[in-house]
Order: sequence, then structure tokens, then C-alpha cells
Amino acid sequence: MPFRGLLSLLLVFGVLIGTAIGMLAQADPTTITDDQVMDVARSLYCPVCPNEPLDTCQTEACYRWREDIRQQLAAGRTHDQIIADFVARYGERASAVPLDPTLNALSLVTPFVIAAIALALGAVVVLRWRRRQPLSVAVSSSPMPADASAYRARLEEDVRS
Amino acid sequence: MLAEVGLIALALAFASSVYAAVVSLIGARQHRTVWVDSARNAALLTFPLLALSSAALLIALVTEQYQIAYVWQVTNPTTPTFFRITALWGSQQGSLLFWCLLMSLFAFVALLVNWRAHHRLIPYFITYSMVTLAFFIGLVVFMENPFARYWIVPDATAADGVRVVYGVFIPANATAPDPVRLAETARGLNPLLRHFGMIIHPPMLYLGFVGFLIPFAFAMAALASGDLSTGWIRAARRWTLVAWLFLSLGLLLGGRWAYDVLGWGGYWGWDPVENAAFIPWLVGTAFLHSVMIQEKRGMLKVWNMVLIIFTFSAVIFGTFATRSGLVDSVHSFAQSAIGTPMFLFWAGVTLISTALIVRRRQQGALQSEQAFAGLLSRESLFVLNNVVFIALALAIFWGSFGAPIVSELFLNTDITLGPDYFNTVTVPLFLVMYVLMGVAPLSAWGAVSGRSLGRAMIVPGAAALAGVALCYLLGVRGAGALFGFGIVIFAGAVAVFEIARGAAARQRAMHENPLLATVRIFTRNRRRYGGFIIHLGITIIGIGVIGSTLFQQETQRTLAPGATLSFAGYEMTFNDVQTGQIADDGRVMDITRLTVSRDGQTLATIRPRHDVYPTSPDQTAIAMNIPGVYGTLENDFYVLLVGLQPDGSATFKVYVNPLINFVWWGGLVLIFGTIVAAWPHEGQQAPARLRRSAAAGPPKGHATA
Amino acid sequence: MSDLDFLQEFRPDPAASGRRRLSAGTIVLLAGILSVVVVIGIAFVRSQQGRPESGMAPDFTLTTFDGQQIRLSDLRGQVVVLNFWASWCAPCREEAPALQSIWENYRDRGVLVLGVAYADDPDDSRAFNAEFGLTYPSGPDIGTVISKDQYHITGVPETFIIDRNGEIVTFIFSTITEPQIRAILDPLLVGEAST
Repeated sequence: MPFRGLLSLLLVFGVLIGTAIGMLAQADPTTITDDQVMDVARSLYCPVCPNEPLDTCQTEACYRWREDIRQQLAAGRTHDQIIADFVARYGERASAVPLDPTLNALSLVTPFVIAAIALALGAVVVLRWRRRQPLSVAVSSSPMPADASAYRARLEEDVRS
Repeated sequence: MLAEVGLIALALAFASSVYAAVVSLIGARQHRTVWVDSARNAALLTFPLLALSSAALLIALVTEQYQIAYVWQVTNPTTPTFFRITALWGSQQGSLLFWCLLMSLFAFVALLVNWRAHHRLIPYFITYSMVTLAFFIGLVVFMENPFARYWIVPDATAADGVRVVYGVFIPANATAPDPVRLAETARGLNPLLRHFGMIIHPPMLYLGFVGFLIPFAFAMAALASGDLSTGWIRAARRWTLVAWLFLSLGLLLGGRWAYDVLGWGGYWGWDPVENAAFIPWLVGTAFLHSVMIQEKRGMLKVWNMVLIIFTFSAVIFGTFATRSGLVDSVHSFAQSAIGTPMFLFWAGVTLISTALIVRRRQQGALQSEQAFAGLLSRESLFVLNNVVFIALALAIFWGSFGAPIVSELFLNTDITLGPDYFNTVTVPLFLVMYVLMGVAPLSAWGAVSGRSLGRAMIVPGAAALAGVALCYLLGVRGAGALFGFGIVIFAGAVAVFEIARGAAARQRAMHENPLLATVRIFTRNRRRYGGFIIHLGITIIGIGVIGSTLFQQETQRTLAPGATLSFAGYEMTFNDVQTGQIADDGRVMDITRLTVSRDGQTLATIRPRHDVYPTSPDQTAIAMNIPGVYGTLENDFYVLLVGLQPDGSATFKVYVNPLINFVWWGGLVLIFGTIVAAWPHEGQQAPARLRRSAAAGPPKGHATA
Repeated sequence: MSDLDFLQEFRPDPAASGRRRLSAGTIVLLAGILSVVVVIGIAFVRSQQGRPESGMAPDFTLTTFDGQQIRLSDLRGQVVVLNFWASWCAPCREEAPALQSIWENYRDRGVLVLGVAYADDPDDSRAFNAEFGLTYPSGPDIGTVISKDQYHITGVPETFIIDRNGEIVTFIFSTITEPQIRAILDPLLVGEAST
């Protein structure tokens, strides 16, 4: 019994110390490098500029947002958490790939479906060609070949030479 | 005076194109040669008239006629002459006029060159091309007129009794505004457009776009006239190659410009407007390949019609999306009233052409030859080629337009799809494309056994493996990258191999020396061997794209003056910065000086700078970051000045882009190959024709009477 | 046009046409093209919709930085000065004192100044409000729904004046000044009961 009590006391201590360490792990924002900020910013789009990624946008607002990312990184947030935060605040257009699962599926799955359909249609055509008889000869006859103007030109050429 | 000349020439061009369209239609239906000749003359006349109109605008730009609103909007007294000339296509009205000029030029040349060989198609060709031209000239004349001018009119309700009005026609009691005042307030061109690339990127792109009108008009003429033999294909194919050449050039130049000037370290942003220019290129490439099947075996007639119409529809859609503000883009023109007519024109062109194909098909035309083709034959591989290109075009359309529009309309959410989406979706398709590029030339028309195809692949395959080994030795480790390099090198090896094989065969047959043999195979069969050079160019571009996309390294650091940064094997020392330097056009430049070295050896001094352009007080200043670049074949060391800190230090963004110069060199090879392939060959007609018809056997491909 | 050309001309076989029904593939193709055209058309029409400069003001619910929930339609009977702003916008800094002054002078006369922060970091917005001592209700536009989707603003600052019946009276595209707003508000408040 005392052994179990000691164990639970150790557990509580462990949790407290772990939390303290976790809190201390919140870094000073100045230690977050620009590259770490850009790493997150690359997956985001400037919420107010037309189609401009957040890592290359040069406006004052984008500068502020990158600083905001720096603060969030210093607070210990992960890449995905920051992106989710941006999307919640500014809408789906802030993210380079939509976070919402329906939209994500709609965007990413559709092209593969299109490619599969195109491939299926192409396969139908190719297989149809394969099923025909090799070396087929056009059966119907006609009084005059199709390209009369070329024929005439040749005739004229031959007559001239 | 200039404005009047320009306006009258423009109006006459409009009338001429409408006349040509109507009269050619009547002449075609009633088989009256006189009418068609008259229409042809009217069509030919549009080009000199539009040239006159454009010249008027150009002169107005160069001689600073600020009363003309367009001149006021795109230039100001500080604009250098070079940019005055390029300002002709700098904004909506001028660029539309320029578009019309190029379109009429293409029609002009086509009517002169193709007049006799395809005179069956010419009447309807004139109709369709002139209807399109009339539409665009109409947009210029009635909606976005570059010759509108500013006038002062008396207005009792205004502060000083006068009001500035903008219009084409002179209002009552109007006087011209003071030229000095106009010159002072003139706006000037967007600084992003003040670059050497401006002189050539838009014209090349426009030439590419409007070039596709010609094959489209021939296709429609074939449908309308009922002459559905391969006549229209022959006319269309070379024009498609010409348009494709310019479009490729335009795309490459756009990428190069973005890389040089826009300061984000890349050359392709998957921006909707960029993609709108890429889609016609993709569909046009599919057409160029699939057309060979119809020429050789008489198959895929309907599909080729669909392809060329799809290409032209993509061109019109592209220009509609760019000019109407359908999607947000850095390329967009300001929103304008021409959006609605352009949408209607696009919808009309697409639906009417499709309906025509369906109707002809229902009537029994466009019957395919009942020919056989094996699974690995060139025909089947070309079908797969079409599948890949169409899938690419549709996927890119979906990412730029489809998904954002559908999501906004039906799910009420604005989304943006960026490089992450496009890279995920297009890379597998591009890889398949390269594989096909390698395998298809080794295959043969009709049928080929797997074994012979496999045998043919041995040598290029070995070369590809050697290439991969070389990459590994040079430090490439990722499996994906090695695989990609392998596929791309395989495709290039096939191109080189085929050229070598052809030269060797000719050398044996004609006993010529190797060099002469190589030159001769090119001149004897420009299409085929020019095509191989194009493939080689695509391979080199592919190597550059893989290198610069997968292995790009970037970092951003702040350096104090004198400090050194080590990155990717390079050392970069920040020497000093000169702030507040004033250039000729009034921009304020902060120029930094950096020394780049490697392993202790100084390589170069580069000068990334930050330019701020002067604007009127109520507008936000426009700033640009011009990179400093040290480039070799191995990579580019590319530095941007992001900002200057108050304490004198500077923040730099450094990119190392491996193999990026392969992209530009590959582009040059591609252009060269296209010129070779498109070069007209006279004097070759008779032998080729006789040989072809001898091999053709019994007559085929006739229309049902 | 030559004399032999009639041989080449395609004449639809009268017996053939009408017999063929549209194949499934053709129907799919036509349906596909038609749906693309229709969808693009609808999207285009929507993209042309400019900002509302008259008529009923689009309704929305805004949660202010203080946690208060304000719904535009509940404000009938009051004149609303709806101001879109952001802390990163320099002209907004210029007009902030004017807006605060309007709020202080007109709040007892039935005017509400309502600030909507467009694409702004809430901490930066609060700092902005604190810096200028702004006491009127102001809140973040989460997801830029109100600003982009409903009011189609193209930038900040933009101000809409909404009358007592909920209709938009005026739209001001750029920085406002106090006299300018007073000139618009005073006529709207004529006929109020004097306090």
C-alpha cells in the first residue's frame, strides 16, 4: 500500500515537472529563424493578395503575418496547428491546399478521376483498333479518288514535265 | 490628328472584317467566285488598316500625346522611349488593339500562302477568321477604345465651372485640357512591366494565341464546306506548329522574366493566368501528335476536329479569364465591361463548333478508316499521349478554375490551390509523358511486337541507366529524383539514338560522310528529325525542372555589413549598401554589394537591390526586389534584398537553384527544333507525293456521295 | 473554285441522316461541355457583382473583441457607420480618431459606429484599438466572410453608411474625415425627438 502511494506521488511529481519543462520550452521568439517561419509560410497564401504565397509576399500585412507565425512557433505550435489557425481566421483561401476534408477531396481526387476516365476512354479506342482485322482493304469503290485537287495537280505536273 | 487617323483606320478595319465575313459566307453558299474574291480582298485589307491604327497609337505614345487617355494612363514624362514603345501593349485597350493587329497579320499571311492549295476551304476560312477578328475589333472600337481622349467641358455644378470628361467623340463646347497639366499628372506604366521582357513576352504570347485561329478556321471551314478530306489537316498542321512555336517562346520568356525580376526565386507559379496560357499549349501538343495518325492511317478524324476546337476554345477562354477578372491573379487586367461579350463569344464558339461536329458526324461524315493497330503500335501510343496531355490540361483547368469556382458557388468557400496541388497532380502525368516520349518513336505504325520494341529500347535504356549512375556519382541520392532523371534521360537518349540511327542509315546508303548525312536527314525529313530535337529540348528542360524543384535550397538571414553567410557550399559576404540612389526614371534604389565565393575562391560580386518607384501621393508606392544572381550550369546562386534594418544590417533571402540553367538552354533547343520542323520545304513535293501514293494502295477515305 | 469541285463536296446521304441516334459518348461530351459553359457563366456573373452601394445592407452577426454579439438587422432604428479596417492599413490609422470622435458625439443621437477588422490578427487589432482609444464596438471578420463575400470590399478602409431602415445610403471608398461623415449623418438624423 505505501508502495502504491509512493508511486502515485512520483507520478504527480513527474507530471508537474514535465509541465514545467514544457512551459520553459516556450522559446524566445528571436531564436526562431527566418527559415522556420518561411517553412510554414510556404504552405500559406496571403489572405488579401491575389494568389500570392505568404513566403514571397512583400506587403506590410504579409510581414506582420510572418511575424505572427514566428510568435506562434515560439509558443510551441506545430506547422499544422499554425496553418489551421490561419484558415480559421482568414478562410480556406489562406491555405495552399484546402484543409476541410470535403474540399480537399474535391480538389485532389477529381483530377485523378479525370485521368482515370481519360485512360479508360483511350483504352477503349486502342482495344477497338486491336480487334479489327489486320491489313484490311477499303471495300467500296468510287469513280474518283477523294483528293481531286491533288490528283489534278499531279496530272498537270506530269503533263508539263 | 493622330487620334482621328487611328480611329478612322480602326473603324474601317471593323467594317472591312464584317464585310469580308458576310460576303464570304454568301459566296461560299452560292458558289460565286467573284464574291469570295471580294471578301478575300476585304480580309486582306484589315491588316494594313490595323497597322495604320497601331502606328498612330505608337506615334502618340512616343510623342507624348497625353490628351489621349491611353497615353496618359501608361506613360509619363519620365518614361524612356523603349518603354513607350512597349506601352503599346501595356494596358487593356492597347493590348487588345495589338491582339487584333497580330490576328489580322496571321489571316493576311494565310490568305496569301494557302490561297491556291486550299481554295476549297478559303471561303469559309474567311468567314470564321473574319467573324473572330470582327468581334475583337468590335471590342476595341465600341468598348475599350485606345483613342478616347480627355476633354474639358463647362459644368455649372462643378467647383471651378469645368469638368474633365473622357470619350471618343468630342463633346459639345469641349476644349482640350492643358498639355502641361496632363503631362504632370500622367500615371505611367506599372513598374513590374518596365523590363526588357516586356518587349517580347506579350508579343510572343499573343502570336501564339492568335496563331491558333488559323488552324481552327481551317477546321471549321472543312466542317462547313463538307470538304473533310485531309486537306484541312495539311493546312492546319503547319500553322499549329507556328502558333505552338510562339506560344512555347512566350511561356519560356514569361518564366525567365518572372525569375529575373519578380523576386520570388522561381519561374512558374501555377497562377491561373499562367495556366490559362499553358492549357492551349498542352492541347495543341496533343493535336500535333494525333494529327499524324490521321495523315498516316486515316483514323481519329472526329477526335482531331475536337482537339483543334478545344485548343482554340482554350485560347479564347484564356484571354477571357485574364481580361474579365474571373479569377484573382497577379496578371489580371483591371475589371472591365468586356467580360460579358467575351464570355458570350467563348460560349458561342465552343458550343457552335461542337454542334457542327456532331451534326456532320450524324450525317455520316468523318468516318474513320477501319484500320488495325496493335497494342504497342505507334497509333496506340499516340492515343496514350493524347490521354496524358488532355488529362494534364483538364487537371490544370480544374485546379485553376474548376475547383475554386465550384467551391465558391456550391460550397460557399473561397479556396486557393497552389503549387502543392499542381505538383501532386501533374508530376505523375509528366513522368508518363516522358516515358511515352521515349517509347513511341521506337515503335512503328500498324503493329509491333513487344520483343522488337524491347530490343529497340536496350541502347537508350542503357544510356538512361548510365545517366542515373552519373547523377548518383554527382551526389543525387533521393530515389524519386533518380527515377525522374532516369525517365527524362531515357526520352532524350531515344531522340539522340534515332537521329544517330537515321544518319548512320543514310551514310551507308548514300556513302556520305557522317556530318553531311546528319544534315541531309534533317533536310529530307524535317518533321521527324525536327521533332527529335524538340524532344531533346523537352528532356533538357525536364532535367532543369527536376533539379530546380526537388533540390532548391533557400534561407533568409540578416547580416551586418562585413558579415559572411555560409550556405550550400557558398560563402557570401555583405560588403556594403548604397541607399537612395536615383535612376533615370526617378526610382529610388537601395543597392547592396555582395561577394560570392566558394572554397575560398572569389567567384563574383552581385548586387541585389530594392527599387521604389515614384507614384502620385495618394497611391501606395510600388516596390520591386531585383535579385543578384551568380549563375553556372550547375546552379544559380540567387540573392534577394528583403529589407534594410535600422541598425545598418540587411536581410537577405538566398536561393540555390540547381540545374536551373538547363531550363533556359533546353528552351533554346526546343525553339530551334520547332523552327527546323516547321521550315517549309519546296521542291520536295513530287517525289514525296509519288512515294506516298504508291504506298497507299487502294483509294481510301472518300466521303460518301 | 474549280469545275471539278462538285465531286468532292460532301452531300449528306438523305437515307442516312435521321437514322443515327446520338451515341452515349457524344451525349456525355455535349453534357460535359454544356455544364462547363454554364458553371463558368454563373461564376462570371457572380464575379461581376460589385459591392452593394444601395439597397438593403447584407445582414451579418459580428462577435466583438469584448465578446459581445451584434447582429446588423437588430440595429434597425439606428444609423450605422460600418467601417472595414485593419491594423496593417496606414490610411486606417489616419481615420481612427475621426471615427472615435463621431462615436462620442453621435452615440446619444442613435448612431452606432461598427468596426469590422478585415484579415487582421486579433492581437494586432486590439493593440490598434488601444493605441487610438477606440471605444466603439469592433470585431474580427472571421474567414473574411462579411468583408469579401457579403460586401465585396477590395481593400481597406471602406465605409458604408446604413440608415435606420437598414438600407445603404452611402459608400465611401477611401479614408473618411469627420466633417464628411457629419455631413452625411446630420440629414439622416433630422426628425429625431430632441432629448
